[in-house]
Amino acid sequence: MNDKKIVDDAENLPWLGRKLLWLDKKKNVDRIVYGLYFACAILFAADFMYKKYVLVAVESIPGFYGLYGFFMAIVLVLCAKVMRVFLMRPEDYYAPNDVESEDYPEDQLERLDNNG
Amino acid sequence: MADGFPVAFLFFAGAALLCILPKGNARALLLLAIPVIAGYIIWLLPEGNLWSTSIFELNLELMRVDRLSRIFALVFALAAFLGNLYAWHMRDMVQQVGTLLYAGSAIGAVFAGDLVTLFLYWEGTAIASVFLIWARRTEGAYHTGMRYLIVQIGSGVLLLAGTVLLWRETGSLVFESMTLGSLATWLIFIAFGIKCAFPLLHNWLQDAYPAATITGTVILSAFTTKLAVYALARGFAGTELLIYIGAVMALFPIFYAVIENDLRRVLVYSLNNQLGFMVVGIGVGTELALNGTVTHAFVHILYKALLLMSIGAVMFRTGTAKCSELGGLYKTMPLTMIFCVVGAASISAFPLFSGFVSKSLILSASVDEGYYIVWAMLLFASAGALLYSGIKIPYFAFFAQDSGLRPKEAPWNMLLAMGIAAFLSIAIGVYPAPLYAMLPYELDYVLYTTPHVVTQLQLLFFSALAFTVLQRTGIYPQGLRSINLDTDWTYRRLLPKIISAVGKPAARLWDAIVQFSLRRINNIISGLYRTHGPEGPIAKAWPTGSMVLWIAILLAATLLVSFIDLM
Amino acid sequence: MSIELSLILTLLIPLLAAWANMIFRNHENLRDGATFIASILLFGVVVNLLRQHAVSPDISVELLSVMPGLTITLSAEPLGLLFATIASGLWIITHIFGVGYMRGNNEEHHTRFFTSFSLAIFATMGIAFSANMFTLFIFYELLTVSTYPLVAHKQTMDAKKGARTYLGILMGTSIGFLLVAIIWTWHLTGTLDFVKGGILEGKIEGPLVAVLLALYVFGIGKAAIMPFHRWLPAAMVAPTPVSALLHAVAVVKAGVFTMLKVGIYIFGIDFLSTTGASEWLIWLASASILIASLIAMTKDNLKARLAYSTISQLSYITLGMALATSMGALGGGMHIAMHAMGKITLFMCAGSIYVATQKTKVSEMTGLGRVMPFTFIAFFIGALSIIGLPPLGGSWGKWLLIVGAADAGQQVAIAVLMISSLLNVAYLLPIVGKGFFLANPEPKPAAVGSAISPKSKIAEAPLMVVLPPVLTAIGCLLLFFYAGHIQEFLMPIVTSGK
Repeated sequence: MNDKKIVDDAENLPWLGRKLLWLDKKKNVDRIVYGLYFACAILFAADFMYKKYVLVAVESIPGFYGLYGFFMAIVLVLCAKVMRVFLMRPEDYYAPNDVESEDYPEDQLERLDNNG
Repeated sequence: MADGFPVAFLFFAGAALLCILPKGNARALLLLAIPVIAGYIIWLLPEGNLWSTSIFELNLELMRVDRLSRIFALVFALAAFLGNLYAWHMRDMVQQVGTLLYAGSAIGAVFAGDLVTLFLYWEGTAIASVFLIWARRTEGAYHTGMRYLIVQIGSGVLLLAGTVLLWRETGSLVFESMTLGSLATWLIFIAFGIKCAFPLLHNWLQDAYPAATITGTVILSAFTTKLAVYALARGFAGTELLIYIGAVMALFPIFYAVIENDLRRVLVYSLNNQLGFMVVGIGVGTELALNGTVTHAFVHILYKALLLMSIGAVMFRTGTAKCSELGGLYKTMPLTMIFCVVGAASISAFPLFSGFVSKSLILSASVDEGYYIVWAMLLFASAGALLYSGIKIPYFAFFAQDSGLRPKEAPWNMLLAMGIAAFLSIAIGVYPAPLYAMLPYELDYVLYTTPHVVTQLQLLFFSALAFTVLQRTGIYPQGLRSINLDTDWTYRRLLPKIISAVGKPAARLWDAIVQFSLRRINNIISGLYRTHGPEGPIAKAWPTGSMVLWIAILLAATLLVSFIDLM
Repeated sequence: MSIELSLILTLLIPLLAAWANMIFRNHENLRDGATFIASILLFGVVVNLLRQHAVSPDISVELLSVMPGLTITLSAEPLGLLFATIASGLWIITHIFGVGYMRGNNEEHHTRFFTSFSLAIFATMGIAFSANMFTLFIFYELLTVSTYPLVAHKQTMDAKKGARTYLGILMGTSIGFLLVAIIWTWHLTGTLDFVKGGILEGKIEGPLVAVLLALYVFGIGKAAIMPFHRWLPAAMVAPTPVSALLHAVAVVKAGVFTMLKVGIYIFGIDFLSTTGASEWLIWLASASILIASLIAMTKDNLKARLAYSTISQLSYITLGMALATSMGALGGGMHIAMHAMGKITLFMCAGSIYVATQKTKVSEMTGLGRVMPFTFIAFFIGALSIIGLPPLGGSWGKWLLIVGAADAGQQVAIAVLMISSLLNVAYLLPIVGKGFFLANPEPKPAAVGSAISPKSKIAEAPLMVVLPPVLTAIGCLLLFFYAGHIQEFLMPIVTSGK
């Protein structure tokens, strides 16, 4: 992994890639994140706008799906982090030449770099 | 072709033809043509048992066509087409032949009307598919392939034993709905369960698929597990046990997926989790649920292939699929990135994408039947699906930290294959009616209602919010060069340890026993020789001596026999 | 040609071939050509017998009468015909292979080799067409003696030691147990004829049935049931054609063939089933299957690995008999054919590898598949057949055996057959996997970064050596589709009772 920030030469990028350079700026990424906050707020509010068909009792809680999704996602990640403590091993744990620790055979690839 | 000639044979003939074609585009073209022709034939097939043969007193039905088998066969043909298009550039004959045999066996198995035919093709998929793993030609892939083969053939022999027992029990070999109870049905159930990657029987999947070649993984992801889903839907629909198995199956892989480093393995964990949804649907067993399972299998094959293709393309250009090595590829591989996002949106079941079309059916069916806990688990799994594959896959491959890699965009054939899969995923999401019309049962279901769309969007956006929060605070697990222990630890670490712990003393003991008895036997023989041998007191001349010895033995034997007889 | 004449010809042709070998000992091509013609003639006669048998079964030829009731008599019945067809058919192929192998390897003493080979076939035919236990015993011993020079062929210390073990165990068991069992049977029944439904029913009862059976089982050392299996690995010092035809087909199949004959025609399936006398044998055969497979996994020498695999597979057939169900016996008969075709393929591939590269160890064969693709594909097909996978013949043998086990209510036997399949995978397929998909570590692989995959030029063994295993591999494939005919043909041995 390179620590140096690579400055891309826009000329060498495909057309779509040039357009997407927009994402390179931190400010724009933040904009997307704010957009997400906004969308969440709207969706929470939307829960009060329509008539619910409650099949499961918990569905009547306002924003149930949103809250459930949010908290379960956090629970999931925290549990997974704990699992890492117990289950994580180096790549050559089973054998020195395990699929994980081997390079993919070079002759089956077409590793073409765009600029360098 | 209208007389119902087994479609599988078309693939086998294609494999034979391929060997004599010149290397190059002719072969690649054949690989594309066969699934197209097969798909066309399958589309036109009338329903019924179209082709039977017999061996011994067994009546084999090679072509049972009904709505259930037809839709699976169709999507298999479609998957074979996409996979082969994706592999247009590949010139490895072993993989090409393996692909055709594998796809043919899978389609043959789907049309199998009896358990013996099913077994034959079942093993066929096992043998043909291992070449897609071995073809990576590395030591690790070779060992993985061996493990894969043993598990797959193990599933086959279980099916064989179950079939025989069931046949002797009921006198029928027809592959139809069964109820768990006897040993026979349990054996068949477990055989299906292995290929379907039930919890604790699942690890071959995560072990083998990421080890295959780039194109091989795409092919592998479509057939074996979905064949097992088909077999379960055919044989064990409505078995309540499956609901709980499926729920666990939908849940546990997502934890692994969050911490897994290899993106292809993340996708395979996700594959396992998606299978869980299908298994729940089979377990619920209502018409709605089975329709949901079939739809899910159909769209899942497409978007899972799409995701694996996009990550495969990354791997093709960079040589790796590890989170820890990738990032920032969106600039030079923007099309691949977009296709990947489409696949991610589909698997996360965003409205207007294909996953939404199918997951909704299964969730509704489980609520309808009152399985609320299971419903909550599936909801959790859906939220998780967004987190570990919907966001993680595109994010770590194409965005995240800049890895400094600037690979070229994927080759045209890969882009085309991804494009078609992406188009279909969106098309089905927007307009599911044609797919719904092909389902085994009538479906009366309104997909796009306000509550449904809003609640689904809530679930997804808030999960995405959670990801953003966790990522920004640095809590979300980053890619580290590592592996995680799974059930394969038992047979890759524990079992060898046990064997060497038990085996060595056992071998030593055995040696001691053999040595001891050999010495005793030698002693006896030399003792006999001393008294009865040529130099011994009993016989003075060798020929007479040996003759006498043998006659004595014979007489003794005869005497013994007569004595026993007299008693 | 009448049946009587055909039966006599089956013995006469290999004898004449042996004689021709001696006559033409100084004319290599004439000598090998004569044997080749003899092998084709023999096969023709056997096939002819096969056709005639359908029209008029139950004809026998008495060659010699030792005393009243104790005669050397030949007759044709389905099991024997099947055995003879396989042995004579594979003789043609093995002869081609043998000539290629012996010349390609510059082995010595060709004449002695091919003469003994023909004699062994003579004895095999005698066993196949024996009409009674006495005849069978005579030819059984003849087979042991005639193969002894073949095992000791290389005349090295190892070869002599192996041959001594070979002779010692086979002679020892056959005289120490089999002869006793035969005398006992004679004593009980006054006859040794092979009769449908058996001759022992009502003549012996209680635990003695099991004892008599044990004498037979251990007496038939050629069936290599543990613990009397050591001779088979020891015999692997012989040149590969011998291992291929004799120690995968003729000799070992003579053992299990005798086993089936004893089970079906001396004891009778029903008698075994009602007395439960073969219950213990199920366990012994099962143990034999599993232990031999486990030992095979530890063997690095390819031929030794195949030998242990043979021991394991032979016990399938013994197991089929021990199950004492008609399906089990049929499965045993079927497996004789299927295993013969599969295992001879594997042995000939081993021979082909040896001729081309002088390699005998599995660990040295990494990457060899790319150099010898035909040999390795044939090996792969043979291995799949041995494992019992479709679309190869072996799957039906296994199917019938499992059906037989289900009929006998022996779930343990089913489990053993299943586990054995997996063990077979574990010790056979690595050879293929490593052969094709791993690079040979010896020559340096292509430099890192080069876009050319490490490929070697194809360098197969001579055609006469490569063609035979390819043919038998195709045979394995065909057997899958024609298994139904074999089963139909064998059906009479278990139906229509007494």
